[in-house]
Amino acid sequence: MAATTIRLSYYLCCLLLIVQVHSVNRDNFKTCDQSGFCKRHRSMQPGNSPYIVLMDSLKISSSQISVQLLNTKTNVRLVLDLYGLQGNTARVKINELEPLKPRYEIPVGDVLIGEPKQQDLKVLDKGAGSITLGLEDNKIVVSYSPFRIDFIAGEEPVVSINAQGLLKFEHFRKKPEAQPEEQAPANPIEGEEKKEEEGEKKEEEKKPDNEEEPGLWEETYKSFHDPKPNGPASVGIDVSFPGFENVYGIPEHAESMALKTTKDTDPYRLFNLDVFEYELYNPMALYGSVPVMWAHNEKSTVGIYWNNAAETWIDIRSTTADKNFFSKIADLVKGNTEMAQMDTHWFSESGVVDIFVMLGPRPKDVFKQYAALTGSTELPPLFAIAYHQCRWNYNDQDDVKNVDANMDSFDIPYDVIWLDIEHTNGKRYFTWDAHKFPSSKDMINGVAVKGRKMVTIVDPHLKRDDNYNVYTDAKNRDMMVKGGGGEEYEGWCWPGSSSWPDFINPEVRNWWASKFQYSEYGGSTPDLYIWNDMNEPSVFNGPEITFHKDVQHYGGTENRDVHNLYGFYVQKATAEGILMRSNNEQRPFVLTRAFFAGSQRFGAVWTGDNMGEWSHLKVSNPMLLTLNLAGITFSGADVGGFFRNPDHELQTRWYQAGSFQPFFRAHAHIDTKRREPFLLPEENMKIVREAIRKRYTYLPFWYTLFYHGFRSGETVMSPLWVTYPEDKSTFEMDDEYLLGSSLLVKPITEQGSVGTSVYFPGKDESYAGSQNTYVNAPLDKIPVFQRGGSIVPRKMRVRRSSSLMASDPFTLIICLDKQGEASGDFFKNNILQSSNADPSGKGSTKEWVEKLIIVGYPKLPQVSISQLMAIHSLYITAMIVTAEC
Amino acid sequence: MYCIYFLLIVGVKVSAEIGRPRGVSISMASKYEPNDQKIFRCLDGSGTIPYEHLNDDYCDCADGSDEPGTSACTNGKFHCTNAGYTPKNVQSSRVNDGVCDCCDGSDEYEGKIECVNNCKELGKKMREEQDEKRRLQEEGFKKREGFIAEANNMMEGKKLKIQELEKEKTELQDKLKELEAKKAEAEGPEKEAKDKHEQAWKEQKEVRDKERSAIKAREAFDELDLNKDGFVDVLEIIPHMEFDIDSNGVVSEEEAKEHLEDNEKVDFDEFSSRIWGNIQSIYKKLVPDDQKEVPPPPVEPQGETGVPAPTEEPQEDAVDEDKMPEYDEETKALIAAADEARKNHEEADKRSRDIDGEITTLTSYLNTDYGKDKEYAILRDNCYEYTDREYTYKLCPFATASQRPKAGGHETNLGRWGRWENDYKVQVYDHGQNCWNGPDRSVKVHLTCGPEHQLTNAYEPSRCEYAFDFITPCACNQPPQPQDKDPHDEL
Repeated sequence: MAATTIRLSYYLCCLLLIVQVHSVNRDNFKTCDQSGFCKRHRSMQPGNSPYIVLMDSLKISSSQISVQLLNTKTNVRLVLDLYGLQGNTARVKINELEPLKPRYEIPVGDVLIGEPKQQDLKVLDKGAGSITLGLEDNKIVVSYSPFRIDFIAGEEPVVSINAQGLLKFEHFRKKPEAQPEEQAPANPIEGEEKKEEEGEKKEEEKKPDNEEEPGLWEETYKSFHDPKPNGPASVGIDVSFPGFENVYGIPEHAESMALKTTKDTDPYRLFNLDVFEYELYNPMALYGSVPVMWAHNEKSTVGIYWNNAAETWIDIRSTTADKNFFSKIADLVKGNTEMAQMDTHWFSESGVVDIFVMLGPRPKDVFKQYAALTGSTELPPLFAIAYHQCRWNYNDQDDVKNVDANMDSFDIPYDVIWLDIEHTNGKRYFTWDAHKFPSSKDMINGVAVKGRKMVTIVDPHLKRDDNYNVYTDAKNRDMMVKGGGGEEYEGWCWPGSSSWPDFINPEVRNWWASKFQYSEYGGSTPDLYIWNDMNEPSVFNGPEITFHKDVQHYGGTENRDVHNLYGFYVQKATAEGILMRSNNEQRPFVLTRAFFAGSQRFGAVWTGDNMGEWSHLKVSNPMLLTLNLAGITFSGADVGGFFRNPDHELQTRWYQAGSFQPFFRAHAHIDTKRREPFLLPEENMKIVREAIRKRYTYLPFWYTLFYHGFRSGETVMSPLWVTYPEDKSTFEMDDEYLLGSSLLVKPITEQGSVGTSVYFPGKDESYAGSQNTYVNAPLDKIPVFQRGGSIVPRKMRVRRSSSLMASDPFTLIICLDKQGEASGDFFKNNILQSSNADPSGKGSTKEWVEKLIIVGYPKLPQVSISQLMAIHSLYITAMIVTAEC
Repeated sequence: MYCIYFLLIVGVKVSAEIGRPRGVSISMASKYEPNDQKIFRCLDGSGTIPYEHLNDDYCDCADGSDEPGTSACTNGKFHCTNAGYTPKNVQSSRVNDGVCDCCDGSDEYEGKIECVNNCKELGKKMREEQDEKRRLQEEGFKKREGFIAEANNMMEGKKLKIQELEKEKTELQDKLKELEAKKAEAEGPEKEAKDKHEQAWKEQKEVRDKERSAIKAREAFDELDLNKDGFVDVLEIIPHMEFDIDSNGVVSEEEAKEHLEDNEKVDFDEFSSRIWGNIQSIYKKLVPDDQKEVPPPPVEPQGETGVPAPTEEPQEDAVDEDKMPEYDEETKALIAAADEARKNHEEADKRSRDIDGEITTLTSYLNTDYGKDKEYAILRDNCYEYTDREYTYKLCPFATASQRPKAGGHETNLGRWGRWENDYKVQVYDHGQNCWNGPDRSVKVHLTCGPEHQLTNAYEPSRCEYAFDFITPCACNQPPQPQDKDPHDEL
């Protein structure tokens, strides 16, 4: 749910054009030109870096080198730390040598799950111009003048840092004394340059270089003034990927999976924002940020994680590599052919440069390397990967009861029914509207007897009401975020005037977690789980609908330093609350809208307030693929689209697509018509029911996928190139994907479509084999195919909810490859408890295998004729058609 | 790899009841009786299986008929006897899923959950409820019969009324014509006499007005002609601020000239014939500066210098003179006669229009669909209210539905009578007030049998799409006959 008050004014002026013109109000969000540091970094031209390595300062230890960098123009010194890490990973950290005060770094244990394990670096060569280090099979070459770092995997250069010379590190400096006449400048922007000049003169370093740039000490955007008490503090550097033509990642953008060059647009922006009716295919920031990027080609997959929680922009250019340079440091493949290269330029408003370089070389290796840093998606409780029924709002207990009863009478399984903001007493979270939900426990228990759960929304904004104990408690403990002047920060959100607990503070997180104790959250039960919305955070009357940049957080940090982490911490604290309330026995399920690197450890993410339009159904696939690539594997889009009323065909196709996406939840805006699946015309209802049931039959497969993801950091919903890394034709394919490596999914996302061209990868496999095949897909068919050589576990006895299927038998779908073989596995543990599987692999269950369905056997086995004939679904039919055995 | 198709049989389930497999109803039992070959034929004829494969928790038949007592077939049905209550067929997926779906607990025989057999209690309660329901239904049905009779009477009455009205209207047509003629007859002489009288007055008045205007023109001319040279010239116009066309505070020469019809100066003849007519409405006598509105200081008494502000020019004593003299007695009599004829005609005409209105109302009443037996006609012209926490909802059947805040404020139209839906069980009121950012408001009224006419609930399942629950004896159908009273076919 959720959007912002801009909607009010927006709808008013567009009332007559409602069908035509809804889209994001771009005026509410900054362009690069309107952001001082973005403009400063973006205006830098590639060339020789002013930074040189001061070799005299070099310190070498077993897994780390530390050396000073000198800006030859300003004489400011930085310190470079280069670490070897386990798993083909290196860390490049650049900080001020002697900052006026410490620069913000994300505490270890929050995003990074711990201090990364180090790996020995060998000094291979120490010459006059560079030092070459060995890290496992890779070489790292640090060139002194100008400073740059190149990573060579085998003999291939794969990553270069500062090769374009774009390193720009705005050191902390003293604010220049304001001249009396400048104390109240008529135009702050105009006053800027003068002040900067004054400031530069007073700098200790003899410089004056050309840093006469706007927005250093204060900025104004629309009517919002940012006083920038710390002055300029941004950091930026370029990272190139020689030999690569495609880069991926850096969610969240409504964008294709393969990222585009930003030559003619703004850079991709990472700044968690509540964007009302977002536009598709552009680099504007959305609700979450994961600064991780992969480069992939036929030979290898590498990537970087940019460990910085401040507002960040990333420019991307497609160029050719400087073979001349590389031939000096690597035995480059000879020849005249040009080598492609992707240049990226990263800049953040504050913090330090902290880059993790993950060297693969295979897609699955980089996922593992990234998971070693920020963790993997926690295995969700089984119900969480089943079907969720949500709406803003189920009005009251009777409404919940009726929807529950209707789902049963139409025999449509579902696991969770959700309550949006209207369930509360005046948007005071942790409370209930006493008239609409007088006995919430009875209501929850009413669905729980059928193995179902409920979810309530708990947003981080607290209504400023002295009779609201969560608010007064936080206020009395001085736990609120502070405004620039040190006062309790106040802004507008759903309840009206609100304040926000400072989730950056670990004590505040503990306090928040304690609010989920059954004794604290009246009317909750163990079957109630939580949804965190508006946690970017959304502040209706704030700049860009969020916090002011100078909002003060715990430990003397500004929101400027930690903005992209706020939502991450809200979800973290909530998940910890769910764990705590059950004495660490219950696996939490928390859905969040805002996120950061590492959010995968705390629950699911959805793509926010999308629209009931075909284009939004289509974009859900690339958006979820990108989230998966960035580690947020448990992710989904609102089925049906949040805004507007999808027609029956769109709703049907969306259910079909959603049933093969990791997080499967239908949701709708309060102004839309009711659209629970049983309200569809019978024909559509039956198709939707079949799609949901199909999801339930595949739950053992999904659960196993998530288990593998948990263990290895692998994607759940994967681009084809993850499994077929050498197949170049898949590198930009984002309308078709794999679940694990067994199921190929190509959802129909075009209106009126009755078929689609499916690309079957894998030359030597039992798909059609590296070619496109047209597949019929009338409204009741979902193009899904099982790979030859795989075994997929299913449970064909669909019950009302997933937990009622706990002791039902399995059916194994065995699709033979050309050799007549197939393999597969499945994972089984307690579907709710937090204890994981017995490491010995032993355990007992009442489940059994009732059927093996073998496809692709040259002669039909005698005993199974009738069963094989009885298989009707397109999935199997198509598989028989395409499997070559 | 060897491809084997096998199934694991987890113990053959033994039927709990003798004579028929688990989950089979008595009426179906014969289909499951073992034959000599010990072969079971799927009920849809799609195949045969050995008898021991019945209820072996593996689905063999496409129609699911071989697994009436397990959850193996996704399309199967399990029959609960529910002795003491009503028997029920539940989906096979409900069997042994850990939820008690049959009141006799027969669907949960694997012990995942202990189901209490509460069929007896439910049966008792059900019978009580059914009895109560039947009683209500009987009572309601009786009332309904009454309503139908009443409605028919009412309809008949209205039809008769229409006939009467139409008859009256026909008669009235003749009378109207007659009265119209009379009216015309009386109005002719009346008009003639009046016109004559008025014409005479008009002529008299014109003469007088002319004289008076000439006097006024003379006065003005003399006033304007400050230098008394027998001409009014531009300079003499300029002091008169009322001639300041563009309101810039100065009367320019051009402005003055314009008022003099582009002449530098005019003599009296020209003034009275061409100028005076245009300026007489704005012309003001020049007031000397020292006489200009010097408002008397409120406290200080007026000194000797104080000149009393010019009092309003006394309205000419011509007021009475301007009035037309009364008609003479003869004309008055003609007017009275014509008034009488007009009044008579107007009355008859109004009656005729009233009749049309009444007929339209009655016809619309008669043309409305009041249900199969006109049983809902009785609700027309009545309104019913229901109040919840925030609003009072009002339903005026076959007319409107509305809502008003309890705390006060104006009423919102939720819809006007639209149509029946769902075989006369639902009324739709639509085209209500438009919802901001949404559809026109509408209401679906769900009608069910009840002892009285009563609006029992109002809610808003979807934004601006309301639903009312309305109970009424009109919705009470004839209760089932006593012979099918006993609901338990299997004990």
